[in-house]
Amino acid sequence: MSSGMMPSGQASSGQASSGRMLSGMGVEDEVWALLDDALAVYRDSPRAVAWLRGHQARFGEPVRVAVAGAPRSGKSTVVSALIGEEFVPTGATTWYQDGPQAKAYVGQYEVPIARRDGKAFVDVPDAERVVVEWPSRSLRDLTLIDTPAGTPVEHVYGEADAVLYLTRHMHTTDLQYLQTAHDHPVARVAPVNTVLVLARADEIGGGRIDALSSAKQIARRYRREAAVAPLCQNVVSVAGLLAVAARTVRADEFTALAALASLARTELDEHLLSADRFVGDDFPVRLDPAVRRALVERFGIFGVRLTTTLIRQGFDTQVKLTGQLVQRSGLGELRDSIGIYFTERREVLKARAALLGLDVVLRAEPRPGSAGLAAALERILASAHEFRELRLLAALQGGRTRLPGELDAEASRLVGGLGTDPLVRLGMDYEPTEGELRHALLDTLGRWRDHSANPALDHGQRRAASVVVRSCEGMLTQLVG
Amino acid sequence: MSAPWLDVLDDTIRACAAHNRPDLAERLRDKRARQLDPKLRVLVIGEPKQGKSQLVNAMVNAPVCAVGDDVTTTVPTFVQHAETPSAALVRGASIANTPTERIPVPIDELASQVSANHGSGGDLVRAEVGIPRALLDSGLVLIDTPGVGDLRPTHTASTFAALLQADAVLMVSDATAELTKSELELLKQVMTSCPNVIVVLTKIDIAAQWRRVLERNRAHLARAGVTAKLIPVSAALRLRAAKTGDKVLNAESGFPELLASVQQDIVAAADVLARRTVAVAAASAIKQLVTPVREELAARAAEGTENTIAALNEAQRRIDELRRRSARWQTVLADEMADLVSDIEYDLRDRTRKILREVDKTFETADPALGWDKFEAWLEDNLTEAATTNFAWLLDRSEWVAEKVAKNFPVARDDLLPESIFPDDVLDRVAPMDKPVIEKFNLMQKAFTGLKGSYGGVLMFGLATSLAGMPLINAISLGAGALFGGKSIMDESDQRLRRRQAAARAAAARHVDDFFIKFSKDCRDAARHIQRSLRNHFSTLAEELQETLLESARSARRAVQDDNSERERRNRDAKRELDHLVTLYQRVQTLAGGQTPALGISA
Repeated sequence: MSSGMMPSGQASSGQASSGRMLSGMGVEDEVWALLDDALAVYRDSPRAVAWLRGHQARFGEPVRVAVAGAPRSGKSTVVSALIGEEFVPTGATTWYQDGPQAKAYVGQYEVPIARRDGKAFVDVPDAERVVVEWPSRSLRDLTLIDTPAGTPVEHVYGEADAVLYLTRHMHTTDLQYLQTAHDHPVARVAPVNTVLVLARADEIGGGRIDALSSAKQIARRYRREAAVAPLCQNVVSVAGLLAVAARTVRADEFTALAALASLARTELDEHLLSADRFVGDDFPVRLDPAVRRALVERFGIFGVRLTTTLIRQGFDTQVKLTGQLVQRSGLGELRDSIGIYFTERREVLKARAALLGLDVVLRAEPRPGSAGLAAALERILASAHEFRELRLLAALQGGRTRLPGELDAEASRLVGGLGTDPLVRLGMDYEPTEGELRHALLDTLGRWRDHSANPALDHGQRRAASVVVRSCEGMLTQLVG
Repeated sequence: MSAPWLDVLDDTIRACAAHNRPDLAERLRDKRARQLDPKLRVLVIGEPKQGKSQLVNAMVNAPVCAVGDDVTTTVPTFVQHAETPSAALVRGASIANTPTERIPVPIDELASQVSANHGSGGDLVRAEVGIPRALLDSGLVLIDTPGVGDLRPTHTASTFAALLQADAVLMVSDATAELTKSELELLKQVMTSCPNVIVVLTKIDIAAQWRRVLERNRAHLARAGVTAKLIPVSAALRLRAAKTGDKVLNAESGFPELLASVQQDIVAAADVLARRTVAVAAASAIKQLVTPVREELAARAAEGTENTIAALNEAQRRIDELRRRSARWQTVLADEMADLVSDIEYDLRDRTRKILREVDKTFETADPALGWDKFEAWLEDNLTEAATTNFAWLLDRSEWVAEKVAKNFPVARDDLLPESIFPDDVLDRVAPMDKPVIEKFNLMQKAFTGLKGSYGGVLMFGLATSLAGMPLINAISLGAGALFGGKSIMDESDQRLRRRQAAARAAAARHVDDFFIKFSKDCRDAARHIQRSLRNHFSTLAEELQETLLESARSARRAVQDDNSERERRNRDAKRELDHLVTLYQRVQTLAGGQTPALGISA
């Protein structure tokens, strides 16, 4: 193993916050070594070698997040919102990754990026896969994959390290999709990589002005729903149209919205009753119907209602409005979720994807050496602390493991349920001195050591406590080192 | 006079009962009762969060159904006409059963009561609301249902239970997205039990692109082969218009068109509707009845006689087989027994010759006058041993022959071998031996005890000969000879000795010869006896077997004949039943105005 190819080196330079949990070999090192072993076993099979090398190469890349969901669930809209540029869906699987200049490729060949109605548009009718390089800060530690509806679940979960699953309203077909995704031996022992997004939150409640807070409540309910909780790490609601608009609102649009907001509220409301009325004749302000139509298509009737209300409430500059919209549309929360569950857990997601990939090779081409590899794979899955943390987290969220009283929430936090940063794990909402941090950590560690040996708890609970103890020890070594 | 559809329905119910399908009959009876009921049930169905409850509210212009941003409707809500507004919760075992309990609640508390009841895990089956509305005056009942495809399957189940009672269906899908695959599936499913469907496109107020969605949906419906009206509405506009009394807005909401459609296609067309509903239900029932009858006909034509004929062929084949094998086992028995007899005889001769050679050798030197007694005992022992061994061998071989014959017997059976190969009287064949006549020597007296046969393992054999004055000198190989060893022959004259020796040899040879002739005859007799008894045994078995086979062949032949006539009778019956069903189906088709598909069979 050449040290220059070590993934941990790249990882630590990219992310300061997500330090290694343990001073020993991290799970990504173990997996890397296992892939090397596998390459030795399969050195005479070009297919397997290419596949395994591809997975090694993936270690160095940013986390791949696929955006999947039923037709018209708002996949491309959410992708556009995350990147901060409106893209017309290509109809093909489209990869968005960071690049110095806006470029698009189909295979080896560069294809032009056109503009249509102010949206970026790659016209490749027959391509299966398009790669778009786009200079965007959001893509620095993230590769987004926009999958067309109907892409088989194995493809989505095979290509991506993590998945945003979009739905308008949780339907049994959505549930089946997620269950299929988790029906794999490796996926089962490392349930980590899905965030459920209620993607068209603005349509809830018939576009009422408080639709978004209502959507947040629904998302909260799903987080507790027994059927949904074990299948995803989090549920967030996003008003896709609003989120895109928030990041791409133009000066002329803002002027038009401001003009609308200048109308008396009752008068405007009359014209905002329906989309038809809004674009109809007999409008009190001099705004071209085409402009109005563009507005309602970009923002939705709900978006126009909300933005005009916000402008009236005093968010009367483009910057103020944008800030409000990012927050209200749920885009902020979505980004946070991606951060906590995906980019911060980059190593473990990459390791997981690599193990899944290795599993494919071991099944497709069994040979004498592969039994040993399979055993090693299983050992990593069973013993790597990162995976044990995730399993405990899933068990706590799914209600399979319950700890008494406050301990439940604390355990979930300590194993990284809210984020893997030590401060988040310890639940500290201020910047502590090193001494304070050490004190808090030792205190927590001591308490959980007691829990892990507490005879009043049952076996499963004590085991859960010992996983928490290990997490605390990890933080301690990190602090010392 | 009863309506024509009622006759058809009654006939179909009778047919269901006649074909042992009480379940179908029960379902049709339900349908019949409902058709006779003046109430017209219109089911509002769709996936969750499409605006079903709001649609019902907007239709009656009152907030009778709870609406909310999350899953709200958990039980079907029946909205019907009443002079004064009222509401009730109905508890019961299931929708189909008669409600067990009806609890009146204030109409404005209905929503909270429903959720409270559901939260406590109550067995609430539906909510009922009565309000005075011209729309509902004619007996129209609007049924708001929980969304289909919701994560809680109990919600969906109650929707499908309600579907069975519906006269017409309003399928709700919102304008923010086209009909999805699962919605089209649901629609098709609905059509099978209730063909009178209007698809309502809701929320057109918030969907800027609703006209495009409408067009796409039309295309989807056409592709799916669903003939249903598609009406775009906005409940929000309608409710607002009702509040402000804005006629223009009301028109914009699309509700006047929807209500007109409901009035014209559902209420006014109640009879057509009844006929169509009945036709669909009856057609599906008849189809279910026809299938087994048709299959029976086809199957009997193809495979009816096959089994019996196969049985007949099998029986005949086995008789032939038995005959062929009978010849074989008889040959085997005869051959083997012949071999056995010759082998046994050779063996006996071989053994006696060995004894004689021994005797000759002894009396070349020994003097018979000495120790004759002992010689006599020795000879007796040896002959006995020879006879015993020989006879035992005969028995072994016979047993082996019996097994070999059994192996060549046509069928394998446990009792194929006789319990004992040997007839009880086989030993009688071996008669006591006559006493041989041996010339007298002086000084001695000859006495032979005869050879006596007694089996069960032991052959008794007696020989007594005295050759007095014969000295015995040789002791080469015989226990008897050894006993003479010490005596000398010197005291006898050489000549006398030689004569005595010759006489002794002749006496022994004669005796052995007699023994051989007698005993080999006995053996042959015994063998023949065994052969005969084996032959009898196996012949009896073969006869029994043949009789069984003949009987099964006869019964198979009878079965083929019986089967033919029985089959023809059943065929006639089945054809008649089929004709009856087909006529019934044609009547159903006329009822529906040719809307149901052809049955796909000819009478």
